[in-house]
Amino acid sequence: MSMKSAFAAVALGVLLAATASVQAHHSFSATYDGNKPVTLRGTVSKLGWSNPHAHIYIDVKNQQTGQMVTWEVESAGASNLLRQGLRKEDFIGAEVIVKGFLAKDGTPTVNASSFTLVAAKKEFTSDEAAPAAYTP
Amino acid sequence: MIVVGVALTLGVSAMALAQAKPDFSGIWRFNQGKSNPNIAGNTPNIPFPSQIVVKQTPTELAVASTSVRQQPVSAVYKLDGSKVTVQAPQGITETGEAKFEGATVVITSRRSFPSPAGDVVADFKEIWSLSGNVLTIVKTRTQEGESTSEKAVFDKM
Repeated sequence: MSMKSAFAAVALGVLLAATASVQAHHSFSATYDGNKPVTLRGTVSKLGWSNPHAHIYIDVKNQQTGQMVTWEVESAGASNLLRQGLRKEDFIGAEVIVKGFLAKDGTPTVNASSFTLVAAKKEFTSDEAAPAAYTP
Repeated sequence: MIVVGVALTLGVSAMALAQAKPDFSGIWRFNQGKSNPNIAGNTPNIPFPSQIVVKQTPTELAVASTSVRQQPVSAVYKLDGSKVTVQAPQGITETGEAKFEGATVVITSRRSFPSPAGDVVADFKEIWSLSGNVLTIVKTRTQEGESTSEKAVFDKM
C-alpha cells in the first residue's frame, strides 16, 4: 500500500468513527418523551459498557400481563459511571430500580435519570452535564 | 350602623386578601443558570418546559407549556381546586387541580399512560412562587413509591 493510500484509509477511518460518535450521542428531546416518566424494577441481563452512553438491559415483568420484557436502558457513559465508583461487575445479575423516560417510538427503551442498585441500597445519578446554552 | 361598619371592614379586608394574590400571567422562559442542574441535559431527573404561557383571572389559571421537540401540555385550572382535564399528548390521560396557598399556587395532577411495562401512573405536585419577574417552580414526581423533586426558575419575557 502506498503512503497516499494509507493516509486515505486512516482519514476515512477517522471520519467514520466521528460520524458514528455523533450519531450515538443524540439529544434527550429527540429520542425520549419527557411527558412519560417511568420507574422500572428488574434484573440486569446484559450490559453495553460503552461511551458516550452505556446500555443496560434489564428484565422487567409487565404488571398487567405478567410477561417478562427486556428493556434497554440508556445511561451516562461508562467513564461517567466509573467516576461514580461503579464497575461493570456491579451490574450483571443485579436487581435495579431505574427512573427515566420512555422512548418516543414506544419500544421498551428508556433514558435513565437515575438507577438504584437494590442490594447496595444506593441510588446513582445518570449524570451528564448540560450544554451551556441548553434549552429543554 | 355598627353592623354596617363591621360588614364594610370585613368586605375591605376580604378584597385586600384577594388582591394580595400574585398574578402569574405572562410568558415565562426557562433560566438554566438559576435552575437545578439535574433538570437539564440528556438525563433530566424531571424535565421542565422551555416556555410557559400563563393567563390568570380571579377564578382560573390557564397554563400552556412547550418544550423543544416535545408535545405541548395545557390546562385551564379552576382556582377553587376542582378537578379539570389536562390537554396532554395522545395516549396520556391526565387530570389536575390548582389552588392558592398563601402567595403560592399549588398544582397537583395524576398522569397515566400505557407502556411495555404495563399501565404507568405518575403523580405530580408543583409549587409556584413569584418574586418580581421571576417564577420559581418546585416540582415533585411520585411514582411506584419513589419521589423526586427539582426546582426550576423562569424569567418573564
